[in-house]
Amino acid sequence: MKSPIIQCQQLRHIYSGKVALNDVSFEVEAGEPIGLVGPNGAGKTTLLNILSGFLRPTSGTVRLFGHAPGAVQLNGKVSALPQDARLDPIFTLTEQLAYYARLQGFTTQQAILEASRVLEAFALTEAAHEKPGVLSHGMAKRAAIAQAMIGTPALILLDEPTAGLDPVNVRTVRSIIAEQSSATTFIISSHDLAELDRLCRHILLLENGTLQTEKIQDNEQPSATRFITLQMESCPALEVIAKLKALEGVLQVTNPQKNEFVVAYKADLQSNIDLQLMQCIQANHWQYRQLNHGKTLEEKLFFRD
Amino acid sequence: MQPSFFNQLLLICQFEIKRNFATRKGLLSLLAYGIIWYFILLYPLQFAAGLLTQEHGLNQNFSFFNFIGLSSIQRWSIPEFDVFWHFALMIFPMLSITLAADQTCSDRERGTLRFIVMRSSRDRVFFGRFISVMFIQILLIVAAAFSTWMLALYHDASLVASALPDLLALIVNLILIVLPFTAMMAALSAQVKSARQATIWAILVWTFMAGIISGLAHYLPELNFLKFLIPGYQLSDLAQLSGWRTLQLAFIPLLQSFILLACGRWIMSRQAL
Repeated sequence: MKSPIIQCQQLRHIYSGKVALNDVSFEVEAGEPIGLVGPNGAGKTTLLNILSGFLRPTSGTVRLFGHAPGAVQLNGKVSALPQDARLDPIFTLTEQLAYYARLQGFTTQQAILEASRVLEAFALTEAAHEKPGVLSHGMAKRAAIAQAMIGTPALILLDEPTAGLDPVNVRTVRSIIAEQSSATTFIISSHDLAELDRLCRHILLLENGTLQTEKIQDNEQPSATRFITLQMESCPALEVIAKLKALEGVLQVTNPQKNEFVVAYKADLQSNIDLQLMQCIQANHWQYRQLNHGKTLEEKLFFRD
Repeated sequence: MQPSFFNQLLLICQFEIKRNFATRKGLLSLLAYGIIWYFILLYPLQFAAGLLTQEHGLNQNFSFFNFIGLSSIQRWSIPEFDVFWHFALMIFPMLSITLAADQTCSDRERGTLRFIVMRSSRDRVFFGRFISVMFIQILLIVAAAFSTWMLALYHDASLVASALPDLLALIVNLILIVLPFTAMMAALSAQVKSARQATIWAILVWTFMAGIISGLAHYLPELNFLKFLIPGYQLSDLAQLSGWRTLQLAFIPLLQSFILLACGRWIMSRQAL
């Protein structure tokens, strides 16, 4: 049995009288990226700050690889992208990243190479000898993510890694996370549920400082009722709902957003529902954009029955 | 391989020293210090030392320095050191308060400290930065003391050897003097948000601490020992001493530094980053 890399027990944090985290307990094992979601002020950043050792919890215990957050034994093993943290404006990116690498135990030469490697991974080679002051918001963000990738950390905590990045760089970050996720466990806090949907199988949902049931995104849906999410081009919603409901095995059709339909069906009655849906769309001369098995993460987390 | 405690202290020190000596901002500060010190040497120090030499020669009962309340100014082996000692007792504590004000505060406010403590520990950062600021001040003190020594040699080259023990005593004493001020700024820097706030708090804390303790000691003489906690408490007594006798009071700044560093470490370990 694998031992958990993160253990939180009855974690509680109070900011000037306001409860930011309340009795949060969970364990995380090494593996696939884990999403941390929740509305603004739910306590996501507080939780990540406690895990990173930037903040002491009011009560409760936290262990990362069996050590308290911030312990020197975690040097090189755990890294983080803290929200809104900026690099030192006096030194160039290479100087700072090489310094961080040296603190992690790299030799001077190795540290410079490592700094170049991570900067190159985030398309920052040309800015390597620039100071943070001349970088755009997106470049500064990428440089901050790059520092988290120095060495081969076993756990990386990313607070809003793609916020403020353009689509090309969002894709770069996503592919780096996907590439590295075999060796590293990522915990990613984000409001971009589509992004988390792509990257994470496990989701931690925080609401008002309380951890809701640990959500497991599972496309195989072992229960008898399954779902399909259908995104259409402009279409008559009422007619679509009526015609989809008439299909065999369909239990319910909902229209949570404009041109988006969630079809609930009995898996044992209808094994080829996707084919039925396509035929229905074609017969009615509608246009569809996307058809996904399962509900979207947003539906699962925030609009569940 | 995990770097050891001392290895990381050294790395943190090196980086901070680089900040002060290899960046434009650092070099400008050094240049400003050099210019100020040059003018101190050129005018007040040289003038006062010349006046002292004249007084020695005249051997008269009236002394200009006694007249302005600096009766202790003729105790060191060479007049330049007499004047330097009195200037240094005022200048270096003030320099220390400004130079050491930003040990951790602006990095903490910017979030840069988070990147560093992920790879080190709060203790290592706290002590590493304290040591680096001390190192920079030691260099400044040595430079100032040597330039004064050179000025003395310029006037009388026969003083080369005889002035060296006093030069060393001056340097050691000044290091001890700035030690508690630097420790106080390390503690304040761990608490406040900017270097300016740290400086303001240093002045307020120092003034109120001196006032409250002096007031308490006036009514309850048994609390007189608390005066030992005020950084710079020994300065007026030090001004009356010269040479290695100045080390009689060395325990005061050492004790103060120990207490202030312990407080600073405690604050740093609990501070949200």
